[in-house]
Amino acid sequence: MTNRTKPAFGAVFGAALLLAACQVPAETAAPSTSIEAATTPSDELTVMVHEGDFARIQQFETPGGISVWLVEEPSIPILALRMAWETGAATDPEGLEGLTDAMTYMMNEGAGELDSLAFATRMEELNMSFGCGSGDEATFCSASMLTDNVADAMGLVALAMTEPRFDADPIERFKREQLIGIRTRETNAGYLAGRARNQVLMPDHPFSRETSEESITAISQEQIAARKDEVMVRDGLLVTAVGAMSPEELAPLLDAALAGLPDSSDVAEIEDVVLNEPVSAPIVVDLPQPQSLVSFTAPGPARDNPDFFPAYVLNYTFGGGGFESRLMKDLRVAKGLTYGIYTGVSTGDHLNTWGGGGQTKNESVGEFISGIKTQMTDIVENGITEPELADAKAYLTGSYPLSFDSNSKIASNLMSVRLEELGVDYFDRRNALVEAVTLDDVNAIAAKYLKPENFTFIVVGEPQGLTETATLAQDGDISVSLDDAGDMEEHDSEETDAMPDPDHG
Amino acid sequence: MRTFLAGGLAAAIVAAFPAHADTADGDATPSTFELSNGMEVVVIPDHRAPVVTHMVWYKVGAVDEDPGKSGIAHLFEHVMFKETDDIGPEEFTTIVQRNGGQLNAFTSWDYTAYYERVAKQHLEKMMELEAERMTDLVINDDPEGPFISERDVVKEERRQRIDNNPGVILQEQVMSALYQDHPYNITVIGKMEEVGALTPQDGLDFYQKWYTPSESILVVAGDVTPDEVRTLAERTYGQITKSDGEVPTRGWREVEPLPATQLIEYSDPKVRQPEWERWYLSTSYSQDQDFAYALDVALDVLGGGRTSRLYQALVEEQKIAVSASAGAWLSLHDTAPAVLSASPSDGVSLDELEAAYMAVVADVLANGFTDAEVERSRNSLAASAIYQRDSQVSLANTYGRTLAIGGTVSDVLNYPDDIRSVTAEDAIAALRRVLAADKNYIEAHLLPEEESQDDE
Repeated sequence: MTNRTKPAFGAVFGAALLLAACQVPAETAAPSTSIEAATTPSDELTVMVHEGDFARIQQFETPGGISVWLVEEPSIPILALRMAWETGAATDPEGLEGLTDAMTYMMNEGAGELDSLAFATRMEELNMSFGCGSGDEATFCSASMLTDNVADAMGLVALAMTEPRFDADPIERFKREQLIGIRTRETNAGYLAGRARNQVLMPDHPFSRETSEESITAISQEQIAARKDEVMVRDGLLVTAVGAMSPEELAPLLDAALAGLPDSSDVAEIEDVVLNEPVSAPIVVDLPQPQSLVSFTAPGPARDNPDFFPAYVLNYTFGGGGFESRLMKDLRVAKGLTYGIYTGVSTGDHLNTWGGGGQTKNESVGEFISGIKTQMTDIVENGITEPELADAKAYLTGSYPLSFDSNSKIASNLMSVRLEELGVDYFDRRNALVEAVTLDDVNAIAAKYLKPENFTFIVVGEPQGLTETATLAQDGDISVSLDDAGDMEEHDSEETDAMPDPDHG
Repeated sequence: MRTFLAGGLAAAIVAAFPAHADTADGDATPSTFELSNGMEVVVIPDHRAPVVTHMVWYKVGAVDEDPGKSGIAHLFEHVMFKETDDIGPEEFTTIVQRNGGQLNAFTSWDYTAYYERVAKQHLEKMMELEAERMTDLVINDDPEGPFISERDVVKEERRQRIDNNPGVILQEQVMSALYQDHPYNITVIGKMEEVGALTPQDGLDFYQKWYTPSESILVVAGDVTPDEVRTLAERTYGQITKSDGEVPTRGWREVEPLPATQLIEYSDPKVRQPEWERWYLSTSYSQDQDFAYALDVALDVLGGGRTSRLYQALVEEQKIAVSASAGAWLSLHDTAPAVLSASPSDGVSLDELEAAYMAVVADVLANGFTDAEVERSRNSLAASAIYQRDSQVSLANTYGRTLAIGGTVSDVLNYPDDIRSVTAEDAIAALRRVLAADKNYIEAHLLPEEESQDDE
């Protein structure tokens, strides 16, 4: 569930599309989604042009067989390029957790005659960036470059894709960094919450595997090279690009980088996650800090489930709409219990959840959780109102154009559509799908998904005011304990002002 | 939402400036004008998508707080979302989001800014809303009311940003020691007990003193023309009368040199990886632009990334560090800190790490930089201005920030050329000035609890 990317280049394609939402602006032409075919006789590239509301998408296959979606944007001299393969870290071999990460880390650490330093120096000389990363279900590479030296920049990408060196020194550095990460993650509240959630709800699924000192140490150069040939193949490769480039200019540059990849590989199938029953008592993970992280997770609808759009719209009112959400209005604005509380619908090929979280001082964790559950119960029993639904749709449709105001956003959005197989006209259809959601739809969805008992709560910190808590044993067993009555009174009391003054260290 | 900027190192390093010279459509050059009430306006056309980023910057920040009132600039920024004469309680956000807008605000030591991103047909509505809260804010003085609960929200924000994070707690202590008599010595969000004691009257006083058209800057980036913006701005902001009060004096002042070098250690059970840092006082873009640009290049070559001197020596060759870098927060108005930092490999003490780190620095100070590495660095910094043109928000931020602290549009436009003119000699001279042997500094150690050598 963690998103494994190198910090410098962590493009996360999955979430971007759904977080931003909106309406067809008045000055945009009416949805003309006609698709026309054009042929350029010179190099016989067949380009299918989709005249969409938000982007003019050119679809073509390069002579080398690479499938590309391109949006030409002549007004600024840069190119944003994305590549993706639908194989990710969840299929790392048993005992080699971290292998796909190691491989993507190494993709800009030297190629051909260039060692790590020479490769990085060359990227600086060309004023470009290139890097790769992976999630559980997919692996990504992305590059940004200036169009005035695009041939040289793409040449360096081609060198990385075709002749990566996987030198011992950077592999050793990857391992050093990973071993420190394995230690520091033990005091990272977000990591601990995600791990506890996985252990409780899906302990045996590959998504719940973690790297370990043993698995990192066991990774070898040969395994990294073999993993690259398994993951980065032509079969299923998706490419999107936005910039001041024509299909004819881009195609040969992409072929030099990608046409020589292996045709295909055998990668194990991932089974769909079957979530365990929710645990009723909040699961507490101890971490010495003044404020606790509270997260909650329930099953959610899949992207292709008819429940998805009603859930997506309802989520705005429930906890996704910032200050317009019920959770924020109650727990932040009315009660002052948190700086922020958010929820989201998360979808994937094998796991779909509806969850959220926020942080509150340890003394008010009991009040915070009961407040969240009260809001869930209210929405389940009474639904939301017609004005709330109208506001949600107005925002979700009205803000959609904001997702298309930069080359890099458009390139990432195009990739999301390709990965989720939503169709080249998805951007044009999407607002109508939001508009079609009715009050009956969302209220049925609320009753189906948002019952408090559907959710498993995880608390990381030193919470007080919880009458019943559960803890996770090393082996994943859950034990529930009842606190004595003393703590029960505390959650109503004013917070003490006993914060240490950090200015007097 | 509603964030504050603590002037983080990373933020300062990526704070590049946009280019203009090689633009494909000349229309993208920004325009500026002033309304009759003194409000400055900057328009940055970007016609790629039918959307706009609309920002109002106020020339006030945490440096302008009265003694004992730390955190008022930031808490007040939260209160700006509450209620006005014409906008009901909590309705500001409702109206913006109902129009498909995204909105937020942020506070730093040197400025405060509010923004909305919307489809362009809603620009005038956003101007009406911002103009309304510039003059007609209502601050509720009910002792159980929304001002009081917002204080609790900010206390939670402080716990989330600072108190939960040992590295940030240490940074807060270092800034306090580095800026003894200067307002940068208190973090923007304020001291917990002072925030808890702020009153609605404090908010009202702050509003009346600082929030006027002549102390604000309007920045609009996106699918608009300067003429359109002028028309809309005159209909909205232009209706606000010029304040006849005196223009208040900003809290900026000279930063005194550090009287002594000092070691601050902070240990915490959550720390699993030690950190070593040295903090020096340097300069700023506002204070001495040539010096600051030369220092930018010098710190980039010294410790700006994988190809830097420090990374190559300590991480790649000697392998005694897992990270090593150098940078400075030069976009602060007053003298900014330059920070040297590294984190040790297992089994390496902070003393050994420091010795190796400072040996690299000593070698550079003695022998200088090569022309090739300086050229690569200044070209990268200049190119970042081209990449910045892909982001409306980033462009609007750069112009707003620069103007809010007294810079000009030309400063931004000339950045690529100016940074390209930095020579290897300029760069090393700047570094020698900051790291001279007689300069005092704050040394900071972040330690796991059991390794603490000194109980703070």
